[in-house]
Amino acid sequence: MDNGTDSMLDMYLFETNSLMEQLDELLIEAEKVEDFSTDDVNEIFRIMHTIKGSSAMMEFGSLNQIAHHIEDLFFYIRENGMDAIAPDLKKNLFNLMFKSTDMLRSEIEKVENNEPLTVNIDNIIGEINSFLNKISNQPDATDSSESAEAASDTPSVEELNMELANCPDDNAPFFIKVLFEEGCGMENLRAFMLVNALQDLQLNFRFYPDDVETNSGSSQTIIDNGFFLALEEEDHIEKVIGVITSTSHIQSYEVIENARLKKADAPATDPSPQAEPANISKPDAPAPAQVASAGNAEPAAKQTQSPAANAGRSHAGPVKQSLISVNLSKLDALVAIVGEIVITESMVTSSPDIQGLKLDNFMKSTRQLRKLTKDLQDIAMSLRMVPVSGVFQKMNRIVRDMKQKLNKDVRLTIIGEDTEVDKSIVDGISDPIMHIVRNSMDHGVEVSSEERIAAGKDPQAEIILSATHTGSEVIIKVEDDGYGMDTEKILAKAAGNGMLTKPESEYTKKEILGLLLLPGFSTNEQVTEYSGRGVGMDVVKRNVESVGGTVSISSELGQGSCTTLKIPLTMAIVDGMEIAVGQSIFTVPIANIRQSFKVSNEDVVYDAEGNEIVKCMDEFYPIIRVHQLYNVETEITNIEDGILIWVEASDTSYCLFVDELLGEQQVVVKPLPAYLNSFNIKNSGISGCTILGNGNISIILDILSLYEMAQY
Amino acid sequence: MAEDIKNVIDDDMDESVEVVVEKERFLTFRSADLTFAVNTKYVIEIITNHAITTLPMVPEYIKGIINLRGQIIPIVDIRLRLGKPSIDMEMESSDTCCIIVLDIDSISVGIIVDSVSQVVDSELSKISPVPVNNQQELVNGMISLDVNNVVLLLDCQQLVDAQMMS
Repeated sequence: MDNGTDSMLDMYLFETNSLMEQLDELLIEAEKVEDFSTDDVNEIFRIMHTIKGSSAMMEFGSLNQIAHHIEDLFFYIRENGMDAIAPDLKKNLFNLMFKSTDMLRSEIEKVENNEPLTVNIDNIIGEINSFLNKISNQPDATDSSESAEAASDTPSVEELNMELANCPDDNAPFFIKVLFEEGCGMENLRAFMLVNALQDLQLNFRFYPDDVETNSGSSQTIIDNGFFLALEEEDHIEKVIGVITSTSHIQSYEVIENARLKKADAPATDPSPQAEPANISKPDAPAPAQVASAGNAEPAAKQTQSPAANAGRSHAGPVKQSLISVNLSKLDALVAIVGEIVITESMVTSSPDIQGLKLDNFMKSTRQLRKLTKDLQDIAMSLRMVPVSGVFQKMNRIVRDMKQKLNKDVRLTIIGEDTEVDKSIVDGISDPIMHIVRNSMDHGVEVSSEERIAAGKDPQAEIILSATHTGSEVIIKVEDDGYGMDTEKILAKAAGNGMLTKPESEYTKKEILGLLLLPGFSTNEQVTEYSGRGVGMDVVKRNVESVGGTVSISSELGQGSCTTLKIPLTMAIVDGMEIAVGQSIFTVPIANIRQSFKVSNEDVVYDAEGNEIVKCMDEFYPIIRVHQLYNVETEITNIEDGILIWVEASDTSYCLFVDELLGEQQVVVKPLPAYLNSFNIKNSGISGCTILGNGNISIILDILSLYEMAQY
Repeated sequence: MAEDIKNVIDDDMDESVEVVVEKERFLTFRSADLTFAVNTKYVIEIITNHAITTLPMVPEYIKGIINLRGQIIPIVDIRLRLGKPSIDMEMESSDTCCIIVLDIDSISVGIIVDSVSQVVDSELSKISPVPVNNQQELVNGMISLDVNNVVLLLDCQQLVDAQMMS
């Protein structure tokens, strides 16, 4: 695939995915009040229209078709207002919408994975159509009477002329007939492009043939008869002509006044100033009907809005953000360069050549430079930060679906969705959060409201999904007020699986809950409803750890449980402690360091295999000598000469023996060269490297995998 | 990223050169008394006197990593890679010893060689395969420059790929 199509596909996927996200958010919000506001309907219409158009351009038939039919459905709803739909059908409408968005989503996924699209989509389309039929069978007086009125005319000379010009049957006062250059090819798509360009102008117009975007056969019609634009207002003509003249491959155009209309009744000639000019209406709806229905829609909107206000929820559509999309690799390059600048800046200002010189102006400038580079760095880092709302909103959908499936009454409360974390981390935590929320829905929350009432709880269960900032990390919590975990059952289960490493009575509550995170917990049998957690929690743990975070579970039996994820804000910059071992310099992330201290030989005890163990805070921890582990030559081998760093990562805790501490520094993490990936270096306790102020390289240690490697 | 762009530009330039002269250009260097040649399209630059940061837990022939203007580049000692003894830094040859930075399909790697000799143009037809029973690691062809001068063509792909397999 060449670059052009590639980037077009990229754009398409980006645009469609963000539209789908918007749509999901909107549906969830709307379902809460069980109604679509006029804004919602317009928004869905707009989204479907865009997806339809872009899918047609990319030739993704199934996407185009589904979007097309939903668009039709919402066109009808827009014309007739939500009130035209019986309340019992509304529920069906939501289910239908969720089903079709799922379908769209799966098709988009196929596009992403380069798989062939589903050919047979009659099923979903049939469903949409039958729903549309169901709602449109209800009597609609305005529509039929108005169209009847429009048809009652006697032909005149002008009309005959129009017939000759093959003007479409429309009540617009003006037509513009566009002829494309002979043999320019793809007339239908060219016409569609023209339509798109005109839509940008927010004019009120219709076009014929109206199926240019889907029906390639319409090319011939355009070649034979021309392409017609029907305009409502005279002053729009000039604007349209402006667009037409700037479009290529157009041979000629002609403005035709609608002669039929001169004789017709007033409502049509008086173009609808109060009709929303932003929307393009469909040819099958005569203009007067539109005026009428727009009038209808207004009170309808007010009606839908008031219950929403009563419910105390804002039912406004999702806020559109003014964003541009940038390729992530460009952003990475920017961050890398900024990192370089920071390093170079300190190389220049602390250059040995100028040491001892008194340079007032120079110092002044360097201070300024330092401040600016710091600002630049902050901005560059913030570019990669995205709010977690995207991930959180997905949970809405999961809770909704499971609520229906499990027949549980649960509300999801989201707190702090604006909290920002690094893009790569957001991607990494989506699955774990989803897993935890599912667990909560499935096992955490009581089976029935009666059970909750019996336990003295609110009949509606609550799952709280929250995100908060604390300095260098983000804390994400998933809380539920369900059963809580029965520690005894967990312990019994772990014992049954042979996972206990010490007598049952010695386990603390924290340790017992920690068992849930171990691989192999509750894989053979579905645990009772009291403590059915742990299904794949080890996967959650692994995912979270891969982005440098930790997982912990707390729970009170009968009151609910809470899973806490602590995630670093970013993986690109780390607060590190520089340590020296022989000639090498290593960086230990400050977040992992609990304490550093000197010990005397007497403090060190040995186990049967001669491993060194040291006691701190009444607990014993193994000592890992970095110089031995990595075969670094150093003169400091006596434990009294060096220093111990007590480090901790998730549930692993031990002491590192190093020569000396060099100081704390914020470092920009660089991955190790791709060439070295084959050496399994990631599992040998090295997570990356960084460039120090003097240009030297420091190796960043991964506390967790270092311990695992030392064991092995 | 910037590197990628640079590569693309480099590649493009190389292509245009090839089209005109139908010749390939090679950089020759010496290592362990052998003369090797490497296609210049892979060569980024030649550096000397760079501080190498040793890496733990890697094979001996990987001397470590260097910081080349912010890029982290792994360094392979060609002698050790070929199973020859490492160059003695105390010897007089250490003056000429240098690192050739290569970019092989956007994998950057630096190789330590005894000395760099020259850049030669050679027609592709002059490259002959290595005799079957003399197959050697890291060599995928031989180029005779003149009567008494035959160089071994460094197999850059193998340099990178063998890594991937081991």
